Amino acid sequence: MKTSSGIRGGSVVPVTVIVLLILVAWYIAAIFMNTVVAQPRIDAAGGGFSNTLSISWGLERPIIPAPHQVVQEIWMTAATVAPWETKSLVYHVWVTLSSTLLGFALGTLLGIALAIAIVHVKLLNKSLMPWIIASQTIPILAIAPMIIVVLGSLGLTGLLPKSIISMYLCFFPVTIGMVKGLTSPDPMQLDLMRTYYASTEQVLWKLRFPASLPFLFASLKVAIAIALTGAIVGELPTGAQAGIGARMLTGSYYGQTVQIWAALVAASVVAAGLVYGVGGVERLVGRRLGSQA
Amino acid sequence: MTAQAVIEARDLSLTFTTADGPVFALQGVNLTVNDGDFISFIGPSGCGKTTLLRVIADLERATGGTIEVNSMSPGQARMARAYGYVFQAPALYPWRTVEKNVGLPLEIMGLSDPSERIKRNLELVNLSGFEKKFPWQLSGGMQQRVSIARALAVEPKLLLMDEPFGALDEIVRDKLNQQLLELWAATKKTVVFVTHSIPEAVFLSSKIVVMSPRPGRIIDVIETNFPAERTLDIRETPEFLKVAHRVREGLRAGKSYED
Repeated sequence: MKTSSGIRGGSVVPVTVIVLLILVAWYIAAIFMNTVVAQPRIDAAGGGFSNTLSISWGLERPIIPAPHQVVQEIWMTAATVAPWETKSLVYHVWVTLSSTLLGFALGTLLGIALAIAIVHVKLLNKSLMPWIIASQTIPILAIAPMIIVVLGSLGLTGLLPKSIISMYLCFFPVTIGMVKGLTSPDPMQLDLMRTYYASTEQVLWKLRFPASLPFLFASLKVAIAIALTGAIVGELPTGAQAGIGARMLTGSYYGQTVQIWAALVAASVVAAGLVYGVGGVERLVGRRLGSQA
Repeated sequence: MTAQAVIEARDLSLTFTTADGPVFALQGVNLTVNDGDFISFIGPSGCGKTTLLRVIADLERATGGTIEVNSMSPGQARMARAYGYVFQAPALYPWRTVEKNVGLPLEIMGLSDPSERIKRNLELVNLSGFEKKFPWQLSGGMQQRVSIARALAVEPKLLLMDEPFGALDEIVRDKLNQQLLELWAATKKTVVFVTHSIPEAVFLSSKIVVMSPRPGRIIDVIETNFPAERTLDIRETPEFLKVAHRVREGLRAGKSYED
């Protein structure tokens, strides 16, 4: 679920080596972990090395599917099915992605609004901050069903409840980062504004906010990844019909481990893409604002 | 010279309350700054020279006595944007280009078309052609000149400068001293300049205020009578050395050379 700032020149070799090592380890692990299921069949087929490999890497319901099985599943469900059909992985990814993005947007706005309030009203720093921190100590799995049920009873179903869970998770790093960022201007930069008799809003928009952008983007990278987690978790307790979470759920009902793993891989690819996207926006904004990098 | 007071301080004092007891940053300060003066505050660190400048700028409040800036309270003068302030560091906003940094006070004042003022003030500090550069692309000396242009862009009659060249090397400092003097002659601003360099104070000033610490107070006020058109060469003249000597005497009388 994590990614660095991207693949740049010179990092192709190390990245490839690591990927290959993971694949090798995965294939070897698949042999041993699938023994329980595969051994009787291998024995029935007469044993031997080639039977061991072909059977333990080709089970229909393996404990751990081999990488190529996952790739095959992704290919079958993403490329050979129309994207609007419920069998399509693309459809499920889109369902989760849309609530992730909505939740991320809401969480970012909430996070920034809270930070602005905390920075400007001394009292809130003491009174609000403990609640904000406490909110993150509650396991999301425990309150996600309640959020869904409560909002459902208010007539809100579908996208929004899931987005609210994403928002609940991802406002936190934004608030923490922005409080730090909005208070990052040094006393001299603030005194300068005072000599101009600048209003609080002018100080906010012309000094505090631009100064906070590096902090904001660092937070947004964390926030967008956990917004995706939130959307997936939001799909689990409700028996959602669509989404990456729903895909994992139905996979586990029917023992379709390949499907679960395909959904997992899809989720991490989406997360990596989202974090990379935030990094891209950061670079664009940085160039605009004279960043040296 | 028209002796119209730009700054008038009477028995001014400022006491900071700290955990270790009161700190007498300023005590019994009497000072008159006339229109067109170039005044330097000189003294060792802790003598209250920066504090005095900050009181004039309404960045600190005096705890006793009276002070008027342009016949107003410092607070009113700040609201009227009566002064430009240059800090020890350039304090440029790194996400703004040179022209946007100089235009910052004009944006805050709500000027509709600041481009002409930006251009003119960048010319004054010899930085035409650097409008689109970002601060990190400039040397320390150039950055400080941008911050001077930014202070001038407000078009105040009074320029307050807090050790503006303290962080620069001596060669750059000499050059900027010369340029500042030319700027002063050209713009006829009143300048209040804080420094801890004796040659800088003597070279630039029409009046030198010697201060001493614990409590921060004024020891001596020295008028210099150097020609308006002067170059760095005058630092080797007997008149210059005589003034510098008197500054040093003042500092010694204020026990500034003792531990």
